[in-house]
Amino acid sequence: MPHDSPTLEISLRLPRRGIERLDLLLLSVEALDLNGGEAMVWMSEQMGFTDRFPNRVELWKSRCHNPLRRTTRRGELAAADGDALIRILCALADRLYPVLRGLLSQAEAPEVLVQRWALFQSRLSELVKERMNPRRGGVQKYLNPETCVAECRQLVQSLALASGAGGFERLKASLLDAGS
Amino acid sequence: MKQTLRYDQLSCRLQVEGLPDVSAGQPDDAVGIITSWTLDWAGRPQLEGRKEHLVALMQVVMPYARHRISGVARRFGDATQPVDIGPAEAGEGHLLMLRSSQSDTPPLQIGLDDAELSDLVRVLDLLRMDPRLQLPLAIPVSRPLKLRDVLERTPLPQRLAAPLGGALVLALATAFALMLPQPKVPGGPVPGGAVPGARP
Repeated sequence: MPHDSPTLEISLRLPRRGIERLDLLLLSVEALDLNGGEAMVWMSEQMGFTDRFPNRVELWKSRCHNPLRRTTRRGELAAADGDALIRILCALADRLYPVLRGLLSQAEAPEVLVQRWALFQSRLSELVKERMNPRRGGVQKYLNPETCVAECRQLVQSLALASGAGGFERLKASLLDAGS
Repeated sequence: MKQTLRYDQLSCRLQVEGLPDVSAGQPDDAVGIITSWTLDWAGRPQLEGRKEHLVALMQVVMPYARHRISGVARRFGDATQPVDIGPAEAGEGHLLMLRSSQSDTPPLQIGLDDAELSDLVRVLDLLRMDPRLQLPLAIPVSRPLKLRDVLERTPLPQRLAAPLGGALVLALATAFALMLPQPKVPGGPVPGGAVPGARP
């Protein structure tokens, strides 16, 4: 960078809530893109993270540090693995930006927006039911139709703001928030 | 010598014009001095100004976006600053307020939806991270939020529920404990004068 706008270079481990949110954002990508799981592996290879995630199992194992999952892993997610996952997520969000924008734009016809949100929410809820522990409060809010709407909107807005040139810095800082 | 940097998104286009700072040895394609900028919005008035106005815009929009990504909706900037942004009072969306330095020009209010805010953040990110832009911009760095900032996203009644509930339970438990009769002291005086265990 030629000027002095410093980037956030924090090599800290993500806290528990940060890991939960990161995994939920990755799950949202899968809900937005039917081939999201494959896209994640492909993006990881494209971005040169093959040494960290040599195959889809390793990628899946790193996501299983999320304590909300049905099958959760003990131990902490390494800071470098967390960074790699955030970079993959930001790149996928950038790739999906037109879809995210389509969900967030008020210029779209209301009936089209309703259909898009209903589709996204139903896909996300299916994925959450399949992979997360439904007894956890953090999971139940995605399964409850009343609270799901606001939570889904927050996830999509976060993905839109995480896309683009400064997305990584912004999202990483957000995942490291106090109280997380 | 004049350079134009242009960044496009679906709803807006940012165009920055400037010159390389030859005294600092910058290459011909660099911008070290911003002479003017324009921000075109689809269906809205064009914004333009000097470098200070652009920096003022970035100084409120970037922290606002940083807080929004964490789910915290708070206003950045105030009436003394040329630009401020905050959540729209009615319904969803964001309100960008621009104040002209000319006293006879009323402030301009621009309502943005989430998609337009994302577009704006993307063009500002592209500008600030463009290697051709070679001048310092005083933009706050994205940092993790402190606990008191994070708490703002939880509604006040929800935040107060746990401590108030705890205090109520404690008060009830104390009141109940005070209502219990005191246990008799073993070996104390017995009503009627007889002392248990005393020899005549």
